Amino acid sequence: MSTVICKQLSKVFGEGELAVHALSDIDLDIQSGSFACLSGPSGSGKTTLLNLIGGLDTPTHGEITVAEQRVDRMNKAQLANMRLHHIGFVFQAYNLIPVLTAQENVEFVMQLQGMHHSQRAEKSRSILNEVGLSGMENRRPAEMSGGQQQRVAVARALVSEPDLVLADEPTANLDSHTAENLMDLLVDLNQRHGTTFIISTHDKLVMSYAKRLIKMRDGKIEDDGSRQSVS
Amino acid sequence: MGINLTLAWRNLWRHPRRTGLTLAAIVFSDVLLVWMIALQLGQYDMMIDNTLQSFTGHVQIQAHGYLDNPQMRRTVPDAIELAAHIRQELHNTNSHTEAKINAHVSARAMGFALVSSEKRSYGAQIAGVQPQYEPQVSVIPGLIQQGRYLSGPDREEAVIGSVMARNLKAGIGDELTLLGSGKDGSFAAAVVPIVGIYESGNTELDRQLVQLPLRYFQDVFSMRGSAHSIVVTATSHEQTQNLTARLRNLIHDDNLDVVNWERLQPGLKQAIQADFSTAWLMYGVLVALVAFSVLNTFLMSVLERTREFGIMLALGVTPGKVGRLVWTESFFMAVTGMLFGIAAGAAFTTYFVIHGFSYPGMEELASKFNLPDRFYPALNSVSLLLGPGVIFIATLLAALWPATRIHLLKPVEAMQAV
Amino acid sequence: MTRYSFGTITAMLTVIAWRNVWRNHRRTLIMLGAIAVGVWAMIWLTAIMRGMVDQMITDSIKNLIAHVQIHAPAYRDDPSIANSMPAPSDSLQQALQDPAIQTWSTRVRVPAVISSERESAGVTLVGISPLREREMLFLAGAVTDGRYLQSPRDDGVIIGAKLAERLETRLGWRIVIMSQDPDNDIVDRGFRVVGIFDTEMEATETSYVFTGLQSAQEFLKMGSQVSELAVLTNDYRHEQPIVDKLRDAAPDLEVLPWQEIDKYLATMLNVVEGFVWVWFIVVFIAMSFGLVNTLLMAVFERTREIGLIQALGMKPRLILLQVLIESFFLLSVGLVFGNLLSWLSIIPIQDGWDISALGVEGLEYAGMSTMLYPVVQASDVILSNVVVIVLGLIASLYPAWRAARHVPVEAITRI
Repeated sequence: MSTVICKQLSKVFGEGELAVHALSDIDLDIQSGSFACLSGPSGSGKTTLLNLIGGLDTPTHGEITVAEQRVDRMNKAQLANMRLHHIGFVFQAYNLIPVLTAQENVEFVMQLQGMHHSQRAEKSRSILNEVGLSGMENRRPAEMSGGQQQRVAVARALVSEPDLVLADEPTANLDSHTAENLMDLLVDLNQRHGTTFIISTHDKLVMSYAKRLIKMRDGKIEDDGSRQSVS
Repeated sequence: MGINLTLAWRNLWRHPRRTGLTLAAIVFSDVLLVWMIALQLGQYDMMIDNTLQSFTGHVQIQAHGYLDNPQMRRTVPDAIELAAHIRQELHNTNSHTEAKINAHVSARAMGFALVSSEKRSYGAQIAGVQPQYEPQVSVIPGLIQQGRYLSGPDREEAVIGSVMARNLKAGIGDELTLLGSGKDGSFAAAVVPIVGIYESGNTELDRQLVQLPLRYFQDVFSMRGSAHSIVVTATSHEQTQNLTARLRNLIHDDNLDVVNWERLQPGLKQAIQADFSTAWLMYGVLVALVAFSVLNTFLMSVLERTREFGIMLALGVTPGKVGRLVWTESFFMAVTGMLFGIAAGAAFTTYFVIHGFSYPGMEELASKFNLPDRFYPALNSVSLLLGPGVIFIATLLAALWPATRIHLLKPVEAMQAV
Repeated sequence: MTRYSFGTITAMLTVIAWRNVWRNHRRTLIMLGAIAVGVWAMIWLTAIMRGMVDQMITDSIKNLIAHVQIHAPAYRDDPSIANSMPAPSDSLQQALQDPAIQTWSTRVRVPAVISSERESAGVTLVGISPLREREMLFLAGAVTDGRYLQSPRDDGVIIGAKLAERLETRLGWRIVIMSQDPDNDIVDRGFRVVGIFDTEMEATETSYVFTGLQSAQEFLKMGSQVSELAVLTNDYRHEQPIVDKLRDAAPDLEVLPWQEIDKYLATMLNVVEGFVWVWFIVVFIAMSFGLVNTLLMAVFERTREIGLIQALGMKPRLILLQVLIESFFLLSVGLVFGNLLSWLSIIPIQDGWDISALGVEGLEYAGMSTMLYPVVQASDVILSNVVVIVLGLIASLYPAWRAARHVPVEAITRI
C-alpha cells in the first residue's frame, strides 16, 4: 500500500521569464512504513516537494495522494484538517511555541483534535517518555537544548498517530552526536509504530539511515534507490 | 479550552514592558474618563438641584398656557385648597400600587408691580407664597440675613432680596409701596412693611423678587382665591418622572397642566446637553488615541510572531483559530486594562468625592449657574463604567485588524519569516 | 586612526536613524497616525474652544457691554437715575479721540416698568444714539419687524419679540413706560412701538426696551445727564491702555473694562487659556505610551545590531543620540501630518460651522451662538508642536537609554 503517490507533479514560482521551475514532472510512490530520505543540494526542490506533500503549498499541476486522499484538490480548511489528523511535521528549528512547556506543546495538537483532557495528559507524558524526555515536561523551549527541542517536535509530530511524518532538515541545527541520537530515535519510532517518514537532508549521516534514498537535482529526481541501513 | 487561554495569557506577557505600557495607556485614559464623567455628572446634579431648589421646584401645576405666556389672568382656581388636597393625596399613598414619594407642596401666585421706597422705585416680581409651606419647596426662606421670614398666611408683610434692599435704600421696618394691576385689570396698590431680607447669592434673584403671604397677595391683586402655580418638590430630581405621573393622575381639570422642571427651566436642560456634547469631542479623541496605542501593540505582536503562526498553520490549526487566539489576547488585555482602570478611576475619583474639586476661576463660572465653588463628582455605575466600557470596546476593535491579518498568512511564507 | 568629527558622525547617525524609521513601515505608519491624531486633537479642539469663547465674548460685548464702560461711581451697585453723570467733559471728549477707539456713545440706562392694557413687566429702559451704536450694539441688526431708531430724538421704542408676546402688544401699538425722575417722582408716558427685535437669548428680549437718547432724557427729566458712556476699541484683548487713559481724563468717574463688568466672560477666557495647557498635556500623555512602546520595540528587535555597532567601537552616548534622532524624525513627520490634518479639518468650517446640525443643544442658554467660527491662534499651533517635540524627546530618553546600556557581548549572543 502506498502512503504517498505523486503523479506528474510540477511547481513553478513566478511567471514568464522570471519563472523558476522548482519541481518538474515528479513521479513518486512511497510505500507505507517507509523511511525515505530526500537528498540534494540547496535549491534542488526537496523542501518544495515536502511542502506540497504536506499540503502547505499547492502544486502548479499534477496529482498528490496522501493516505488515499487527493491533497491537490483540497481547500484550505480540508488541508488544515488533513495536516491535523494524517501528517506530522518536524522543522529545522524554532519548531515549538515558545510560551508553552514541552508537554503543552505536545498537547496542543491533541487539543486541536478535540481529545479529552485526561487522555491528553496521559498520552503526552507517554510520548515524551518515549522520546526520552521524561522529567522535562514542564520546561519551556528556551530552557531546553536544541536536541531536546527537536525531540519535543518529534513527540508532537507523532502524538496524533499520523500516517506520515515529514521532517525538513531536522538535524541542521544539531551537532553530530545529538543528530545521531535523534536519527536513532526516528528509526526506532518508524519500526515500532510503522509510521511513514520522509526526511529531507543534505547531511550524509542522515542519508546513511535511509532505507530509501531519493536524490534530487534541479527539481527532478536524479536517483531513487534503496540503500542498506547502516544502523 | 485550557491551552488556548493559557497560550493567550502567556503570549500577552511575552514582552511585559510593552504590555505594561499599553495597559498604562488604557488605565490612564480610564482614570481620566471616570473622573471627568463623574465630575460632569456631579456638576449636573448640583446644577439641577440648586437651580430647582432655589425657587422653581421639580414639578408645577399651572393653568394651561401659563408656561409659555405667564400672564396674570391664567390662574389655578382655589389654589390653596388644591394644594392641600395634593399634599394629602401624596401623603396617603396607596402603598400597594404606588411607590411612596416624599414630596412637598406649596401654592404660589406671581405678579408684577412697581415697588417704591421713600427714595427709589423699581419694577419687581411679586410672589404670593404660603409661609407655612414655602420653606419646604424653596431655599429662600432659609436665606434670611436680616429680620425674619413671613409669619402667617394673611399677614401684611414682605420679604425682599438684599440687592433690592440696597437699591431701594430700604431696611427692616421700612414700608414699601406696591403699584400694579390685579388679575381683573383693576388697579392694585398696597403699602407693606419689610420684615425680612434674604440673600441667595444670585444677583438676579436678590434684585428681582418680593415675597408676600399668599392670602394677602390675593387680596391686593384681586385673585379671588386663585394662584398661578402649585409647586411640588421631591427629595431629588430623579423622582421627577414618577412625581409628574402621580400628579397627572390626581388632576382632573383640563385647564391645568402638570409641568416638570425640564419644561420650567428649558435652559438648564439645554446647558447640560451643550456641555455634554462638547465634552464628547474630548472623550472621543482620548479613546481614539488609546485605540492607536493598542493597535500598534497588537500589530507588532502579530508581525514578530509570523513564523510561530506559520508553524501553527502547518500543524493544522486553521487561520480562524489563530485569529481567535490573537483576539483572546486582546480580550485579556482589554479586560485587565478595564479592571485596573475602573479600580484606579474609582480610587482617584473617591478622593475628590471626599474633598471636592475646584479650579482657579471656578467661583465666577459656578455662580452663573447657581453652583457652589467646589464640585463633588458623582461616582455611580454610569460614571464608573461608561468611559472604561467605551475604551474596552475600542480596544477590542483596534485589535481586530491585526487578528484578521492572520487570514492572509500562507504557511510556507510565514515559516520563512524570522 | 581616523577621528571623525562630531558633525560627520551626526550626519551618519542621521542617515541610519532615518532608514531605521522606515524599516518597519506598518509600525511607523501607525505611530505617525497616532502622533498626527494627537496633534490634530490639540490644534483642532483648541480652535473650536477658542472659537466658542470668542463668539461668546463678541456676542456679549454687543449685548450692552462694549469694551469699556464709564459710569458715575455708585451706578453699578445702584443703577438708578440718581446715579447718572454729566455728558462727557472736554478732557474726556479729548481722550475719546484716541485712534485705538473705534467708536463711543452715551446711554441712558434705568430700570422701568412697561405696561400694555393687559400686562406689566419690569425692564431696563435704554436711551441710545442710534447711529453711533450701529457697530457697538446688537440692536441695528436684530430688528426683524418695523424699523431701527433714526436719531437720538426718536421717541419710538423698540422691544423684544418675547416681551411683545408677554405684553400682548405689537408693532404700531402704544405701551406705557413708568420710571422715576431725579427727584424720585414717578414719571410715565405712552410710547409707540416702532420696532421688534429678535435675539438668540430670550433674557435680552424680555429685559431691554430701547428708545432715543434725548427722548429718554426728556421723559426722565434728566437734562443732558447720562447713565453710561460705552466705548468700543479696536481689540477687546488690549483695552487696558485705553482704560488707563480714560481714567486719567475722568478721575471722578468709574472706568471699567469688560472683564470687570462681566467677570464670567473674563473667567471663561482665562479658563480656556488653562484648558489649552491641560488638554495638550493630557493628549500628549495618552500619545506618549504608544511612542515609548514603538521605540522600545524598535530598540529591542535591534539588540544584536546595536551590540554589533557597539563592538565596532561606537560609544553608548552616540547610540542614545541615534535613537533620539530616530524619535525626532518620527515626531517631526507625525507633526507634519498632524498640522496638515488640522488645516484640512479647519478649512471647510472656517466660514462658520452650524453645530446645531450635530445635535448640540442648549448653547443659547450658555450665551453662545450655534454658528461656530474656529479661531486658530499661531501660539496654539506653535505650542502644540513644541509640546510634542520636547516632551516626545524626553519620553524617548527611556528607550534610548535601554539601547545604549546593552553590553556588546550579551547583545550579540542574544537571539
